Amino acid sequence: MKKEDKPFVFRGKYFFLVVFIGYAVLFFAGSEKAIPAMQKSGDILTKILPILVIVILLTAMLNYFLRPQQIVKHLGHESGAKAWLWSLAAGVISHGPMYAWYPLLEDLRRHGMRDGLIVVFFASRTIKIPLLPIMIDYFGWTFTLVVSLYILISALVQGLFLEMLEN
Amino acid sequence: MAPMLLGVVGLVGLFQVLVTPRMLTSLFRDNPLLDILVGTLAGAIGSGNPVVSYVIGGEMLGQGVSLYAVSALILAWVTLGFTQLPAEVEVFGPRFTLYRNMLAFFFTMLIAVLTTLTVQVLL
Repeated sequence: MKKEDKPFVFRGKYFFLVVFIGYAVLFFAGSEKAIPAMQKSGDILTKILPILVIVILLTAMLNYFLRPQQIVKHLGHESGAKAWLWSLAAGVISHGPMYAWYPLLEDLRRHGMRDGLIVVFFASRTIKIPLLPIMIDYFGWTFTLVVSLYILISALVQGLFLEMLEN
Repeated sequence: MAPMLLGVVGLVGLFQVLVTPRMLTSLFRDNPLLDILVGTLAGAIGSGNPVVSYVIGGEMLGQGVSLYAVSALILAWVTLGFTQLPAEVEVFGPRFTLYRNMLAFFFTMLIAVLTTLTVQVLL
């Protein structure tokens, strides 16, 4: 069975098992960290739940409205500069942790999205628009503007480099 | 995908409790070049909302740690992550994950250097 054909719901069960065993070891070793860690995980899950719902809805809409040929045309190897800029913008405006976006990106990739665009998306996520005021407050305007500019440029360069490495 | 996401969330929760901001801050010395590397690794180990990295970075600057290291930490906090590596390998494959993380690691350090030098020139 090819990797792409694996049943969706069973992905990562061994990884989950290892994490679960980690918690069990901590708990039975009498560590006071197990319960707070579980509470933290619960908090994180509550926070990312709305993002996961958006990602699932986006994935479902994508599968319903877009044919694989259309995805290949707009995000595939024949796509132009517009695709790179869209990935850059999508990365900047996307919320939540990186792993919350894995299902959507995996789906797009399976339908032909080029790897360089995925790297651009991940790299540009370092800019968090809602957090910019906090960054300015901590590090100042100059730092925030300069670092944001370098992040955008380097995201595109990383995408291009990845495709060079893969070919 | 659900077990994988739950695994990542569980691991992030574990890291947030086991790896404290004080532990991360204590890793830095007075060597800017070494501190960039340490900042990048500390950012990759750290997990949680990026605001946490801003707070740690602010504390570090107050304690005299270089802007090189602080920049590296807050950049690596988002683009690199040990806790999400198993899931990334599972979803995108080992080759893509290796290349992406190598590039993110190198560019985190490069942006940290360029940003600090540019800020020093501008201010």
